[in-house]
Amino acid sequence: MITDVEMTADAERPAPALASAAPARGGRGPYRLVRSRWTIPVLVFLGFFFVIPLGTNVWRSVATGQALTAGPVVFYAKLLRDAYYVGILAETLKVGAIATLLCLVLGYPVAYFMVRHAGRWNALIVFLLIAPLLTSIIMRTFGWRVLLARKGPVTLLLHDWGLIARPANLADDPVAVYVALVHVLIPFMVLSIVAVLQQVDRRLEESSRVLGAGPLATFLRITLPLSLDGVATGCILVFVVANGSFLTMLLLGGGKVTTLSVLIYQQFNVAQDTGFAAAMGNLLLFVALICLAIQARFLRRQGVKA
Amino acid sequence: MTSAVPLTLVEVSKSFGSLQALKPLTLAIGGGEMLALLGPSGCGKTTTLRIIAGFETPDTGQVLIGGADVTDLPPNRRGLGMVFQNYSLFPHMSVADNVAYGLKMRGVPAAERRVQVRRMLDLVRLGQYEDRQIHQLSGGQQQRVALARSLVTNPSVLLLDEPLGALDKNLRERMQFELREIQRRLGITSIIVTHDQEEALTMSDRVAVMAEGRIVQVGPPTEVYDRPRTRFVSEFLGTANIFAGTIADRAGPFDWAVALDIDRAAPSLVRSDEPLASGRRVLIAVRPERLAIRPAGEGEIPARVQDVVFRGSYFAYELAVPGQPGPVFAYSQSRRDVPADGRVGLTWPADGAIVLQDAP
Repeated sequence: MITDVEMTADAERPAPALASAAPARGGRGPYRLVRSRWTIPVLVFLGFFFVIPLGTNVWRSVATGQALTAGPVVFYAKLLRDAYYVGILAETLKVGAIATLLCLVLGYPVAYFMVRHAGRWNALIVFLLIAPLLTSIIMRTFGWRVLLARKGPVTLLLHDWGLIARPANLADDPVAVYVALVHVLIPFMVLSIVAVLQQVDRRLEESSRVLGAGPLATFLRITLPLSLDGVATGCILVFVVANGSFLTMLLLGGGKVTTLSVLIYQQFNVAQDTGFAAAMGNLLLFVALICLAIQARFLRRQGVKA
Repeated sequence: MTSAVPLTLVEVSKSFGSLQALKPLTLAIGGGEMLALLGPSGCGKTTTLRIIAGFETPDTGQVLIGGADVTDLPPNRRGLGMVFQNYSLFPHMSVADNVAYGLKMRGVPAAERRVQVRRMLDLVRLGQYEDRQIHQLSGGQQQRVALARSLVTNPSVLLLDEPLGALDKNLRERMQFELREIQRRLGITSIIVTHDQEEALTMSDRVAVMAEGRIVQVGPPTEVYDRPRTRFVSEFLGTANIFAGTIADRAGPFDWAVALDIDRAAPSLVRSDEPLASGRRVLIAVRPERLAIRPAGEGEIPARVQDVVFRGSYFAYELAVPGQPGPVFAYSQSRRDVPADGRVGLTWPADGAIVLQDAP
């Protein structure tokens, strides 16, 4: 949003000032193709459908229902003091963290394979990765219900292998939520890591090998540190999106996984306590902003080093 | 510092799919020797180096370092040093950490590491740069750090993969001498891969010229340059004028008269250690600097000057010889008077012409 503000200011600046500033700002001379005033339609759209609703939401969370009688911060106080809601917040962060960790552990090897070994299979792997994103979430989630049902193929297979004692309905087990989250979020992780790993020269790894490092030491000291940017980006994407998911938790896990998003959905649609729902939404947004701030800081530090 | 260790390749070959990158190749490099693998891209020189380093496993054959078979050892257990074309320095580490990396991997204690890193950086004249980040260094400095990093572990063999390819011409020439001097001082067995003939001639004790997956000629730089065995070698190392002809008769103990296929005034001379049978068809190569330009009517070959180019230290004459496809080049230290019609005569001494092994 800071960029938006800068761009608006730019558009209003008189032309000569722009021209004189051109060399320093790189490519913003009188011959530039894109003019900042062309961003006005997007800014208007964002203003009406993003900034104003956000503002309304903040206002709603401090000035509707109970907030009118019991003071403006009553919803927030309830969220942060009431053990139940604190538990929900903790559960939300836990689900996000576990999904992120699973995506990282499962996704890094895939990303590494894609960059170093896949060759012509790369396109196929990318397609397979993003296929879940191209499928409707309802179909995807009900697909998991079928696969994980008491007599579903996955359950029977696990039973045959002796991994579970007796066939159970895994679709209503919390594990189903994680399976479905990883399924749809892993492409964000893999593609983030791939983008950075592609920049890591293979000869750096070869240098490390010649200098006496084995494969594991080479990975830990060279490959991993140089791909941390991608890992950070992937983790934050997955974490934030996982925090915002609620259909997965509604349709899978048998209602045992209740996160902030699920609660927001319930407050809006069932309890119709829009003020409280708005407060929860703002809390979730705040968590996301913290993540983005951490990422921006991390990337800036890396930028200075590299 | 390093006891000189020989390196031997025995019948090493490698294919990538249907492409035979390396035909069975045997090569012995003496302890302390600097050998250049020279050839156009795709000739197998880089594959050879990567097999020695252990990045590629040969389909057949063995790699012996100091008599020990290392063919099946991973790169980290071969005790080698390697400098890559792009230096391949670790961007997330300081200069000192880069150089110390190999020592750290060998479990050398920190205090000892510091001493050795300092000593190595002094050797490459970068003593003051320990704490710098890699991106703060110039290309030449990065090159030196890469060299220090590869030498600090006392490798038995140093592998140089186009080490100076990314430097500009002046710096490259200076670094050639510097690298050569350090290599000699340490007496470390070295292999340098290059496609730059001048670099190969300047830096190595022996040059191995490669083409299409095999070594076509190995020898000291002067020998490979002066006595190329094939047309490919004569043209890849420097410039050569190639003539076809028929051996006429003996003209001296080691000299033969050869009747060239071009329009000639008299037979030319070639020198050969082996006897050449009369009537044998031969291809001969003559270096431009051995071709002498005479006034018209003199010399064995009448020619016409097409163009004269000043090249700094010499003049290059482009000549047309009737019956010869393509131009003939002659280099001369001084500018000659060329008559208005451009007609001159060409001659060369017997030892200026080399009989090639190729079939004419």
